[in-house]
Amino acid sequence: MSASAVAGRAPPRRLRLGRHRGPLIAAAVFLALLLTVDLISPGPFSYFEFGFLSAGGAALALAAMGQTLVILTGGFDLSAGAAVSLVNVVLAVTMGPSPLSQIASFGVALAIGAAIGAFNGLFVAVVRMQAIVVTLSAMFIVQGITLLVMDKPGGSIAAGFVATFTADAIPGVLPAPVAVILVAVAFWLLLKNSRFGVGLYAVGSDGEAAFAAGLAARRIRFGAYVLAGMFYGAAGAFVSAQTGSADPLVGRPMLLEVFTAVVLGGTRLGGGRGGAIGSVIGAYTLMIVVNILLVLNVSAYFSSVAEGTILLLAVLVASLNRASPVAAYVRLVRTRLSARGGGKLPTRATVRRAAPPSSPARPPAGAHWFTRNRAALRLVMPAYAGFAIVLAISQVLYGGTLDNVGYYNSLLVLSSFLAVLALGQGAVILTGGLDLSVPWMIGFVGILTAGLIHGADAIAAWAIPLGLLIGLALGIVNGLGIVLLGLPPIVMTLAMNGILQGAALLYCNGTPAGFAAPAQRWFMTGRLAGLTPVVWFLALFVPAAALLLGRTVFGRRIYAVGNNPLAAKLSAVPVGGTLIGVYGLSGLCSALVGILLSGFSGQASLGMGDEYLLPSIAVVVVGGTLITGGRGYYPGMLGGVLLLTALSTLLAGTTLPDAVRDIIFGLVVLGAVLALRERRA
Amino acid sequence: MKWIRTVCGLAAALSLATAAHPAAAEQKFKIFLSMSYIGNDWQAEAANMVKAMAASKDYRDKVDLQVQVAGPDAQRQIQQINAMVQQGAQAIVVYPISPTALNQVVRNACARHVVIIAYDAEITEPCAYNVHIDQPEAGRVTAEWLAKQLGGKGNIVVLTGVPGTSVDTQRTAAAKEVFARNAGIHIVAEGVGMWSQAVARTEITKILTTHPWNEIDGFWVQVGCYTIAAMEKEAGIADDKLKPCAGEGANGHRTQMLAANAPGVQGANGSYRPMGEPSISYASPPYSGGLALKLAVEKLEGRDIPKLTTLPLPVVTNETVKLCQQGTWAEMQAGCNVFQPATIGNPGWFASIYSPQTPQIGLQAALNGKPEQ
Repeated sequence: MSASAVAGRAPPRRLRLGRHRGPLIAAAVFLALLLTVDLISPGPFSYFEFGFLSAGGAALALAAMGQTLVILTGGFDLSAGAAVSLVNVVLAVTMGPSPLSQIASFGVALAIGAAIGAFNGLFVAVVRMQAIVVTLSAMFIVQGITLLVMDKPGGSIAAGFVATFTADAIPGVLPAPVAVILVAVAFWLLLKNSRFGVGLYAVGSDGEAAFAAGLAARRIRFGAYVLAGMFYGAAGAFVSAQTGSADPLVGRPMLLEVFTAVVLGGTRLGGGRGGAIGSVIGAYTLMIVVNILLVLNVSAYFSSVAEGTILLLAVLVASLNRASPVAAYVRLVRTRLSARGGGKLPTRATVRRAAPPSSPARPPAGAHWFTRNRAALRLVMPAYAGFAIVLAISQVLYGGTLDNVGYYNSLLVLSSFLAVLALGQGAVILTGGLDLSVPWMIGFVGILTAGLIHGADAIAAWAIPLGLLIGLALGIVNGLGIVLLGLPPIVMTLAMNGILQGAALLYCNGTPAGFAAPAQRWFMTGRLAGLTPVVWFLALFVPAAALLLGRTVFGRRIYAVGNNPLAAKLSAVPVGGTLIGVYGLSGLCSALVGILLSGFSGQASLGMGDEYLLPSIAVVVVGGTLITGGRGYYPGMLGGVLLLTALSTLLAGTTLPDAVRDIIFGLVVLGAVLALRERRA
Repeated sequence: MKWIRTVCGLAAALSLATAAHPAAAEQKFKIFLSMSYIGNDWQAEAANMVKAMAASKDYRDKVDLQVQVAGPDAQRQIQQINAMVQQGAQAIVVYPISPTALNQVVRNACARHVVIIAYDAEITEPCAYNVHIDQPEAGRVTAEWLAKQLGGKGNIVVLTGVPGTSVDTQRTAAAKEVFARNAGIHIVAEGVGMWSQAVARTEITKILTTHPWNEIDGFWVQVGCYTIAAMEKEAGIADDKLKPCAGEGANGHRTQMLAANAPGVQGANGSYRPMGEPSISYASPPYSGGLALKLAVEKLEGRDIPKLTTLPLPVVTNETVKLCQQGTWAEMQAGCNVFQPATIGNPGWFASIYSPQTPQIGLQAALNGKPEQ
């Protein structure tokens, strides 16, 4: 290119670089971490080490690339980890020693992934159901099938297959995992520059506009899920080669890391911005953290703290520039100060407040209640309808359920944890975020309060409020990180989760001591006027929660922020304050659950909150809440809580194998939401 | 390009400097502990015992131990073990996240003459050493006890561990085989217990909504007898009417197994007290990590160690349960197997910490990572 041409086209060129800033900075952060490892560890960075490192992150990178496709369209795919496991066990069971069988196996891997993707795509793109509900049920169904194929680790993968993926593509020059990633990246680049790729971004940026512009939005969404599934299939094939055998649980813990990798790589949840190359870098960044912890000799209890901190720093460094929220806030404060000096603060200006316009869209007050609330009911009803069906089945199977006060009492006691969590997580999701710090917020507060209380009611009187305050404060820290530092909610709350895990371990030195106060135990297991006290508490909590979200100023602001933060800001909604409040609320709710749970069990234990993260999200979305924010009702979330609790109660009373329970669980979630989905005219 | 060369030069200088540093500790064996997820009670206790073993006077001059946590994801443990090999590990003590997923990386490590020894869970790669109990035996012995206790007939509730793991599958399958041989025994409900007292509480609550106490004659659980006895007390069931429960080696559970009038128990409260619960307590003992470290050192010193060390299954019944006063190794050797509630605040804490082969570690090791003496 000639010099004059470059000069003439300089501005668009800078724009292009700017567009790639996300992955570029992610790459710089990764290289900095890699250099750190190399500097501290003895010996030069060898080809051998290169091979090891490239193999370590490859499976995660492939899965994250797939997830990126879905996220770019504004979707959300929870089936990624389950798909990896299924491919792994199927390959181990079916693969023969012949080369043909090994080649066919790779085809099988992609086909399984594509089939799972097609299932997701069908319900998301064609039936127009929420991605998170569909992929959540797909996750359960696939997990169940995986356990049916193989109920414990075992099997073996042919040596040739192993070598193809993990040995050398060109000995001494190119390790096979690098070649695999390069092929995947090349595929992504081709895809991105195709019509389909343009459509992917268009659909994710604004689905309606893309549709109006004549794009086949439905086909593009469907294609994104199928291709994503194939990437998971490839990841599953790689895991099979990397491990040489199969484990039905191998993919499950990958799910959270896949999302973290995508977000680290600069892809925005909600769609339209980012790319798969960033996700590859994100995946390798996550894996190199393991090496950093090792070379720095971070002790065991500190490892989750260190990991959380590294994660935060990595994102923070990437987001520090003139456009970053920190800079924006500094500018805002400076402007306000100078405005104060000049007497130009908006609060000092005299504004004639207009009377609020009467909303003509609202049906006359005399209209039937159902007519007025039709839209809300359509979101809320599926969960309750499903709940009613589960109750009926329980009655048929066991008899004496429907008219048994004890049954409802137990059901409500078991529901109380999720009902409380649903308020916090639900409020966060309504603003378009996610709170992943739930598990160790529960665990930390539970262990801390039980340790202080040591079975004494007198201490509980101040330790419980203290625990709730700590939860609130830590939640506010989440909110501050998200608002002031501009950290993605997933990264901030995940890091907080790790830090709290470390804090809990350090506090109790690995052995949580102490137990709940008698009053706490009575609250969760005693009797008050025929019912467990927590049921009476629930009777107060539920209306309060519904009012908080539905009728207060704070509640209105949550919806405003979730629908469109910019519009909310321009309408004088304090977006930052609302977000901080929402995460504070979630921290408070998690802390309350930690205290309730330790009352229920009598003591606190490490990992006591682990079982509640996914359900806390599931009940919110099954209850009709939109995962991208702005739509949903607390009564719906409560319906989700009742449905899922009643279902798991029903299943616990049977002797069905766990695999079958998973499948039933997935089908019920899907069926409940499918039955009363939004019908188009 | 000049800056690149400068950076490279600096990097080389620094890595030389750091490489020269650890030469002081040359006589010690460089051993790593690769744990999986540390966020549960068993893992934390086992880690304490490994650390105590390394700090004991027999080993502190021999071993340079570094403890690392991989988290629940097998991919990361693979990466971690590779990195440990790169760092010059002579032996790696592993709590494997998966019995199969580590096989390739373990084979690589063996090829570079690193001793790999797994505790509690297994690694199926033949070059690895394993230290664990016989899982099917655990399932069988406890199920046989329960069948005998019930006289071969009755309705029982089963609480499994984490589905999809070898340990859970093997234990449950062996137990079910026993129950299948006893035609009078019926499994009326099966909950997923996840090896957690907290989960046991929610699962049993769910099961009770459809199968009330009077329809259940006994329990076979992997973790949860302590919680079940506590729930029976809440339901107003008298001490002498408690249902037989075959289950875990938690200190709370063993305390409940002591006769209701057992003397000298300090710090008992609520359901964490002697109540003569008819029970058998088995465990996957948390000292296995400490023993694995000991075996690794023996191997590095040139002695032969067996590929598989099958730990004797710690089984405690109402007849053999005995209270420890101090919890020293010597006292445990004399036969005590449950600790004072005043010392062990957490009833879910795992009490099977005695092995005749590990005189270096006792109660203080499990609690605080401090060796004996």
